[in-house]
Amino acid sequence: MAVKEVLVYPDSRLKKNCAPIVSFDESVEQLLQDLVDTMVDAGHSVGIAAPQLGDLRRAAVVDVSKSKLGKKQENHGLLQMVNPEIIEKEGSQIVREGCMSVPEYTGNVTRFESIIIQFLDQNQQLQVIRAEGFEAIAIQHELDHLDGFLFLDRVSSLKTDLFRRKQK
Amino acid sequence: MQHFALTIIGRDRPGIVSQVTETLFQGGFNIADSSCSILGGQFSMILIISNPDISTKEEFSDTFTPLEESNLSVYIRTLKPGGEIRSELEGELCMISVYGADKPGIVYQVAKELGDRNINITDLNTKLVGDKQKPVYVMMLEAMLPENTEIEEVESWMEELKQKLQVDISVRSLVVMEL
Repeated sequence: MAVKEVLVYPDSRLKKNCAPIVSFDESVEQLLQDLVDTMVDAGHSVGIAAPQLGDLRRAAVVDVSKSKLGKKQENHGLLQMVNPEIIEKEGSQIVREGCMSVPEYTGNVTRFESIIIQFLDQNQQLQVIRAEGFEAIAIQHELDHLDGFLFLDRVSSLKTDLFRRKQK
Repeated sequence: MQHFALTIIGRDRPGIVSQVTETLFQGGFNIADSSCSILGGQFSMILIISNPDISTKEEFSDTFTPLEESNLSVYIRTLKPGGEIRSELEGELCMISVYGADKPGIVYQVAKELGDRNINITDLNTKLVGDKQKPVYVMMLEAMLPENTEIEEVESWMEELKQKLQVDISVRSLVVMEL
């Protein structure tokens, strides 16, 4: 169990393209655990990607089931994803996103309404799932991190983040 | 450091932003928050600025004279200490869209419902669209609902206004996803 520090832009690691995980060894299990622990510790977060912890490998976790609005929708609970890939996408929705790595700002971003993703789960099983609504937004946001994209690269208008964020 | 709010307005044309920011850059100013947009045929700029060497409005002297000579109106407001820092707002963000045939009082009556209840408007844009014979007024407003105010209440106030003003109003909560 390890809660790691979340990198904040302009840390250049947040803009790097992450490498696929070739061998699923113990370090990958550790990484997934760190991601889950850090996401849970951050309180408000519904997802986090490896580069936000400074690890430039393609892994991310998402869990919208604990968030106020996410739990109202059908979701898959905790998703631990290695080498995740969006294989189908449809529709579009606009959402105002904020990111732990870009504090103080939120912005309106257009995301696909529904996606099908495939990934290796924590048990090295290949999963193919359909995600919609909030869960789909969270997954797209985290997968962007693996390609070095921040929501600032997708945003159409910026707003000052008016919310008080949870302090550690 | 002393901060100032700088407002600049003039007939829109290419080059205003570069002219203004060159003046600021050459004068050693920092730009913090800013918002600039075209309103009607005018380009308007609002910027929070500071300069380590300047603590009173008088010290600007003729910094902005060239801008004024090129038909831009310049106004400087001296901020009180801490006036550059946004206060923390708590609550739920909601978005209100109002649109309909143009008539006097649309903005006022909607804003009054909120202001009377001490609800903070955090963003507001209005635009007159449609043709001259049938102008349509569109307003987009974001407000921060305090904890004891539910979105359904806002909807009920707006429902009354809808009838009174004969405009369409929709209220929705604005969800910010923290990722």
